[in-house]
Amino acid sequence: MAGGRFSLDLARPSRQHWLGYVLLTPAVLLIAAIIVYPLFVSIDLSFQNVGIARLDQPRRPFTLANYERLFSSPDFWNACWVTLKLILVVTSACCVLGLATALLVNNRFRGRSVARLLVAMPWAVPEVIAVVIFAWIFDSSFGLMNWVFLSLGFIDRTINWFSDPDAAFAVVATTMIWKGYPFVSIMSLAGLQSIPEDYYSAARVDGANALQRLRFITLPSLMPVIGVTTVLVMLWIFRDFSIIYVLTGGGPLKATQTLSIMTYEQAFSFFRMGYASAVGVVTLVICVVAAKLTMRRAPDTL
Amino acid sequence: MKQSLPARLVLYASVILTCAILVFPIYWLVITALSQPDQLRQLPPKFWPDEPRWGVFAKILAERPIFLWLGNSALAALGAVSISMVVSVLAGYSLSRFRVRGGESLGLFILTAKMLPATLLVIPLFGIFRMTGLIGSMWSIILAHATLIIPFTTWMLKGYFDTIPRELEQAAMVDGCSPLGALFRVILPVSAPGLAATALYGFVLSWSDYAYARTFLTNVQDNWTANLGITTMKGEYISNWSDISAASILVALPILAVYLFLERYLVGGLTAGSDK
Repeated sequence: MAGGRFSLDLARPSRQHWLGYVLLTPAVLLIAAIIVYPLFVSIDLSFQNVGIARLDQPRRPFTLANYERLFSSPDFWNACWVTLKLILVVTSACCVLGLATALLVNNRFRGRSVARLLVAMPWAVPEVIAVVIFAWIFDSSFGLMNWVFLSLGFIDRTINWFSDPDAAFAVVATTMIWKGYPFVSIMSLAGLQSIPEDYYSAARVDGANALQRLRFITLPSLMPVIGVTTVLVMLWIFRDFSIIYVLTGGGPLKATQTLSIMTYEQAFSFFRMGYASAVGVVTLVICVVAAKLTMRRAPDTL
Repeated sequence: MKQSLPARLVLYASVILTCAILVFPIYWLVITALSQPDQLRQLPPKFWPDEPRWGVFAKILAERPIFLWLGNSALAALGAVSISMVVSVLAGYSLSRFRVRGGESLGLFILTAKMLPATLLVIPLFGIFRMTGLIGSMWSIILAHATLIIPFTTWMLKGYFDTIPRELEQAAMVDGCSPLGALFRVILPVSAPGLAATALYGFVLSWSDYAYARTFLTNVQDNWTANLGITTMKGEYISNWSDISAASILVALPILAVYLFLERYLVGGLTAGSDK
């Protein structure tokens, strides 16, 4: 990304500038209309006592009540905690599984291209369909998972996956891991293929075994890719709506209610759009700050 | 390096085992669709149905407007991707080639816009679409999906244009091409793979949306997208997993086909800009 961008040394610079602005105009206008303006509206809403957002009516008086209520609400802190737990569990599992599968299919063997397709296939399954699959696998009466656990002797009575808070959290995490690891796998595989073969030959000449080559060549070379990918996975979990909402709706007892689910519930189940906007604005701020902190060195790639 | 026989066996065994476990949920979806509904209510489960009921797909197509849902999803994706591509190609090219005042901050804003939670943006969009009467129409979903797609496509295309040598335009302009002509006659044709990858990625983003469809389209059944239709089935049909699985397969099929046949492009789009 470095060096000499935005410059075209041929031809008249004045004309080039002019064209540059013209080319940007449609995007700027559209982004202003459908992203920037709505963003301002939601920030504005978060400072008003609004039930259902009606833009054709005069705005309500300015108030900080939504934010005061938010920070003193146990539901908000619960949602923060659930989001954090989900991020920790799902991100680490996705990274381990994604990296392991990428290393596996990076080997040379017959049928490698098919194996690569299969390993990353869940990426192409729409989230709602993934929810259908796992809701059925974890069905309380005839689901496969209860049968497997019973047969293996892990449990002696069927688990009611969607009415027990910890079990429901586990189901949500499992679904998200299955949907999320292929992205890490795809990115790591691309990173693996860009490591020069010479590194490995040199290491072999020096007598490094397979484990040492992994530890001292593969992992360090992959670090930048893994860093970016981890942040992207975290942001995805932060903002994801469909998996949790369709699977559990945030329940039971708010055990799977993340900040995103809380925002949506407040806005469209309880019709407290001012309060919901406040939750959403806080979520966005946390997202941006977290991403900036973790990506200080390479903000370009986000 | 040649591997020893035991090493090869271990490798093949672990590849097969890994693929089997990870793809099993998709296999199970297919098996569930093909099983008789009453067979699903007995344990131990059957991993291959006695008589696969291939007729389930015809049955579900007759009972549910699946083609209408798929058509709506395709229309939303097509509309949102077309709008996004037009503005992103121009903007990406401008950001890649010209020094524009405010260009850097625009780029930064677009990066930040990728982090916008849909659950936040959906609230003001709901208000705006209600005021303008767009709620329930396909335009509401097309514009909402464009908010998801534009930040990605602009940045992906800028990255792609960055990899195309400037000498190409310079040569074209020496030969008498205008700067705009150079973009359309030289740069865009050589960027075809990048444009395809970007458009495909936008298509996947639109096809996967549920939040916007649920919020804007729930009350207008004729405009339901595939994902919205499936979730309404899940709500009412808790017991009939066979039908719901069959419908799910039909909905997932287009995107799985895109993945299986155009994987190279999709992956190229995903990884673009991350390894730099």
